[in-house]
Amino acid sequence: MMKNTPLFQPSRRQVLQSASSGFGYLAFSALSSLATQKSFGSNLNPLAPKAPHFAGTAKRVIFMAMQGAPSHVDTFDYKPQLTKDTGQDAKGYAKLLGSPFEFKQHGQSGLPISSLFPHLAKHADDLCIINSMHTDLPNHPQATTQMHTGNFQFVRPSMGAWTLYGLGTENDSLPGFITLSPPNGAQNYGSAFLPAIYQGTPIGKQARNRFVSQEARDAVQNIRNPQLSKELQRVQLDYVKSLNTEKLARDQYHPDVEGIIESYELAFRMQDELPEVMNLSDEPASVQALYGLNDRTTGAFAQQCIKARRLAEAGVRFIQINHGNWDHHRNLKGGLEQNCAEIDQPIAALLEDLKQRDMLKDTLVIWAGEFGRTPHGQNGNGRDHNNKGYSLWMAGGGVQGGLRYGATDDYGYQAIENKVHIHDWHATILHTLGLDHKNLTYQYAGRDFRLTDVHGDVVKGILS
Amino acid sequence: MNVFRPVFLYAFLFWCPLLLPAAEKRELSQEETEFFEKKIRPALVKHCYKCHAEEGDKVKGGLLLDTRETSLSGGDSGPAVVPFDLNESLLYLAITYEDSSLEMPPKYKLEEDVISDFKQWIEMGAPDPRDRQPKEGAPQEYTNTIDIDEGRQFWAYQAPHNPEIPEQVDANWVLQPIDHFVSQQHREKGLTPAADADARTLIRRLSFDLTGLPPSSAVVGSFVEAHNADRDHAIATAVKRLLDSPQFGERFGRHWLDVARYAESSGKEVNATFPHAWRYRDYVIDSFNADKPFDQFVLEQIAGDLLPANSAAQEAEHTVATSFLAIGTKGLNEQNARQFRFDLVDEQIDTTTQAFLATTAACARCHDHKFDPIPMSDYYAMAGIFLSSETLFGTAEALQNRKATDLIPLPAGAHSGTGVKPLAELIDLEFQKATLQENLDKLLTETREARRSGDGERATELRLQILRHQNQIGIADRILASYDDDGYPKPLSMGMKDLSSPFDSQILIRGEEDNPTDERVPRGFIQVVKTSDEEPISADESGRLQLAGWITSPENPLTARVYVNRIWSWLFGEGIVRSIDNFGSTGDEPTHPELLDYLAVRLIELDWSTKQLVQEIVTSRTYRMSSAFREDHFEKDPENHSLWRANKRRLDAEAIRDSALAVSGQLNLERPAGSLVSEAGDGFVGRNIQEDEINSETTYRSVYLPIARGLVPESLGLFDFADPSLLSGKREITTVPSQALYMMNSPFILKNAKAMASYLTTDIGLRGEELVSEAFYLCYSRPPTPGESERTTQFIERFLIVAKEEGLPPLEARLLALTTFCQSLIGSAEFRYLN
Repeated sequence: MMKNTPLFQPSRRQVLQSASSGFGYLAFSALSSLATQKSFGSNLNPLAPKAPHFAGTAKRVIFMAMQGAPSHVDTFDYKPQLTKDTGQDAKGYAKLLGSPFEFKQHGQSGLPISSLFPHLAKHADDLCIINSMHTDLPNHPQATTQMHTGNFQFVRPSMGAWTLYGLGTENDSLPGFITLSPPNGAQNYGSAFLPAIYQGTPIGKQARNRFVSQEARDAVQNIRNPQLSKELQRVQLDYVKSLNTEKLARDQYHPDVEGIIESYELAFRMQDELPEVMNLSDEPASVQALYGLNDRTTGAFAQQCIKARRLAEAGVRFIQINHGNWDHHRNLKGGLEQNCAEIDQPIAALLEDLKQRDMLKDTLVIWAGEFGRTPHGQNGNGRDHNNKGYSLWMAGGGVQGGLRYGATDDYGYQAIENKVHIHDWHATILHTLGLDHKNLTYQYAGRDFRLTDVHGDVVKGILS
Repeated sequence: MNVFRPVFLYAFLFWCPLLLPAAEKRELSQEETEFFEKKIRPALVKHCYKCHAEEGDKVKGGLLLDTRETSLSGGDSGPAVVPFDLNESLLYLAITYEDSSLEMPPKYKLEEDVISDFKQWIEMGAPDPRDRQPKEGAPQEYTNTIDIDEGRQFWAYQAPHNPEIPEQVDANWVLQPIDHFVSQQHREKGLTPAADADARTLIRRLSFDLTGLPPSSAVVGSFVEAHNADRDHAIATAVKRLLDSPQFGERFGRHWLDVARYAESSGKEVNATFPHAWRYRDYVIDSFNADKPFDQFVLEQIAGDLLPANSAAQEAEHTVATSFLAIGTKGLNEQNARQFRFDLVDEQIDTTTQAFLATTAACARCHDHKFDPIPMSDYYAMAGIFLSSETLFGTAEALQNRKATDLIPLPAGAHSGTGVKPLAELIDLEFQKATLQENLDKLLTETREARRSGDGERATELRLQILRHQNQIGIADRILASYDDDGYPKPLSMGMKDLSSPFDSQILIRGEEDNPTDERVPRGFIQVVKTSDEEPISADESGRLQLAGWITSPENPLTARVYVNRIWSWLFGEGIVRSIDNFGSTGDEPTHPELLDYLAVRLIELDWSTKQLVQEIVTSRTYRMSSAFREDHFEKDPENHSLWRANKRRLDAEAIRDSALAVSGQLNLERPAGSLVSEAGDGFVGRNIQEDEINSETTYRSVYLPIARGLVPESLGLFDFADPSLLSGKREITTVPSQALYMMNSPFILKNAKAMASYLTTDIGLRGEELVSEAFYLCYSRPPTPGESERTTQFIERFLIVAKEEGLPPLEARLLALTTFCQSLIGSAEFRYLN
């Protein structure tokens, strides 16, 4: 009953009325617990670092999402039989299409990687390639949503939001979950029923947006107030907070208003911190060159990769960077060459750079698309969608390097050995972070929800 | 399970050009064969086969000209021969040496009479008697895997029945039939509806829902008074006033523009502007204001050009309506003309079926729909309709855009749009164009010479310059064509026309344009939805009119349901079916199935009147509930499926921006002529048209802001404006720090805060408490609570102390404090949330 809820206890009221009380205290309001949540520890700040369930091997995640579904048989899943049988009849009277790219073994581990990734191939011994991924649907929107949230049907929190909810973040002047230049679809970095503060903060316009200048793409908008000093702005924000807090008290339960209150506090601190983190001019020339920052082809993705590293260094928990245009129904060869030339060097540089800073060991780097492509051709030089078998790779953060895990059939149609479903993959990511996917739950609408729903097994075979 | 599976078998034949069936393998007349044999074949053998025949030395550019099929399908650059279409026929472009990047034969130009033979041949439809043995391999076939009769069992394909009005309800609560359905569910689930919202909350809700604007303090005051005297009467009067105001059309029109994925540029890589798209925007707004029956509205958007018109004005209106099908995203740099055509048609099918039927028919392009009973043959039945129509979207011709089309001249008397261009400017442009042309000719000559002398490097260098010249000429051409001799803009519109010879489409196996089945699917609709009044499509029409007739048939189980569900979501924040654009099996089921049916039937009874249906909904008891929180109810139904209270809703981006302008007295309620995109004119976003040119600041309502794809204005984009590349029935809501930064630091908000402060002090001369009270009224439609008053006073005091410490002069400090106070209200949560 109402009178039993702590809302009406004096301590709560004091908290609400104190305009200068700690950051984020509202997410802990007794009323959100109606909705709501199991806490980890007693800290009032919902973003404060929280102890994991057990000692993890990764402290943070850099997730490189490749929109459009990169072809696995042309990149990380070597299929000699497909090459041999190219031109033969396949399903539905289409013809098998061998990869136009040559695969070679690399590193001590001898991982086969196609000629599309000459730079990355040098890091073969760091890569943990999963060849046996599968997901539920071969449609971009649903599969993209499932990759990010585990569920394509309902609005559920994204894995970045779950991670932040589980671990908090180490820098309270930056959002704990940042997605750089995301494509459309806020659900993919959304927090759904988790408190709004766990939502990903998008920064920068779409990376491939050619309709705005480079400066406009990079600029962090509205980061300075032209007329108020920091102190005066603090006075203002205390006032805004008092108005919002009063509204929240009136509304009793209103997570969006909590989100607004917290986003103001975060924004206030971001004004100092963010421009500095996002300013790449102080990177030494050697680092800029390593990533290919000033090259026309690699420049845009190099930007994102360096920023990701800087954000990781600054203590951001979950960083997503994005690259698009992988939907090669046609022009597979030219399209892949272009895309891979854009990302190959920057990714290799990122791994190198993290390693030099001794951060690769506790940073989980992920490269993945929403599904793979058919071994048979489409439109001559293209491939159709394939959700039954595809590849992704991870590196650092406690996964085994130089490993090729699982397998598809001879042509690459279906995962057949050590199959890894999206739920398994999510469970494994959380595991490296020290979170048990079965225990990372949030109570909403009368039941406990989790990233993996009622599924998911940690893929033990890839852990180091 | 033994179910009936109709099987269509299509024997594999060759590539058959689908767009123009005249070019198929067919009996040629004696004359045609002779023309080919005498004029064309010898020329091909002599000038082309060396590099473009299987028997030749080596095949270049992937192009074979020794068979009919490969000539049509073309090589790497696209189809070599497109029957009837000189512009699309790369072979013709090459032999005329118009484009230095593609000059064939490379070493010499053909004689003029040979060129004109090719011209005549293509214009004849490229009759070609050459035949080739069919390829080895299995026949291409399409097998329908879907049982349509079984599919009809799904709720959404069953006709809405007029349900009985439930009587097991709270008799003291219900006002309208709508309330009976809601109340019945309350009873079933043990829920008590929230009390009525107070008068201020209600007028604010009505105002934003029906006009997208906050009520003025005077309106709030008089409503509260009237409400106290006679609540129902006060509400009815206010609703009528709001529905009659021109702002209603702007509000509901904007909702529809989300569904119509309205934008003023082509998007994707090339992103050419659509300077005439705004006519569709105005058409939509006017249609809602005129309360045009929804079935008529649908009819006009799909087939307006085919409807009879009583007047020139109506003819113009009908033409503009069909822009609906023309404003979609386009990959203008697609080299393959057939691919482009199919992508265009796909976008039209996708938008049409989702907008009106909440059905994702486009999933059936490459295979039978995986979840809904829609076979590929349904998709291609509709594809035939759109393929038999011509989509006119304009755009400037350029090397990266060989897809530019004409526009439709509107009858005299149509609004001429954006301002007059000074004659001098146009004359100047003519001169510029002439100079460009002259330079281009020189460059072309120089390139030819360079190539002949083997200086490939120089030729490549020149190519860039040539491209630039060609593009500038293309843009100049389009601009010059848009103005009459006196510098007045010509009234032009995007839109649709029927092709002179309509045809049925083949099925493309796996959606591959070069992989068609032999047989064609008769033009038609989605079979799972059958209506008894379907009109047959005759051989000489595209079928758009019949498609529109089938969609708007009162028997169509989807159209009315889908539309009332949209209206419901525009008023409640959620639909009765929550997956607004998907009534298929992967969508949500209705929370109140009988209410949905009741509303659908009611809409048709009301002759598809939007305003009347809205009027009934917003005068219901259900709409009137407060949003008060209740713990036990929340535990039972946190997402408010059963409507036990009003949803707390964030204002959409437009309403937030319009409100900021409104409270500062800056809002201009006029409708601008055209849009900033039409002022910028034809061109390419990010190339000759820059962001600041399009997105310069205005004080018009947000619905009139320029919407170029990829360049949505910041004020809208930050607050979850719908992606204009895709149809969108529901916007997302995010709460992120970049919104806070916008409210704290953006020039737009600061400017409006300043204007609001100046309005309060200078214009209406308020001071002290009165000023604070009026500011709250403006922003929240209510006076401040005692707590808020107290904190406002404390804020001003504290602000002045700190300002003094910082050495600000007292007068300046006061002004800044006042401005910052106004800004704080605009930035606060209540400003952007409806209770």
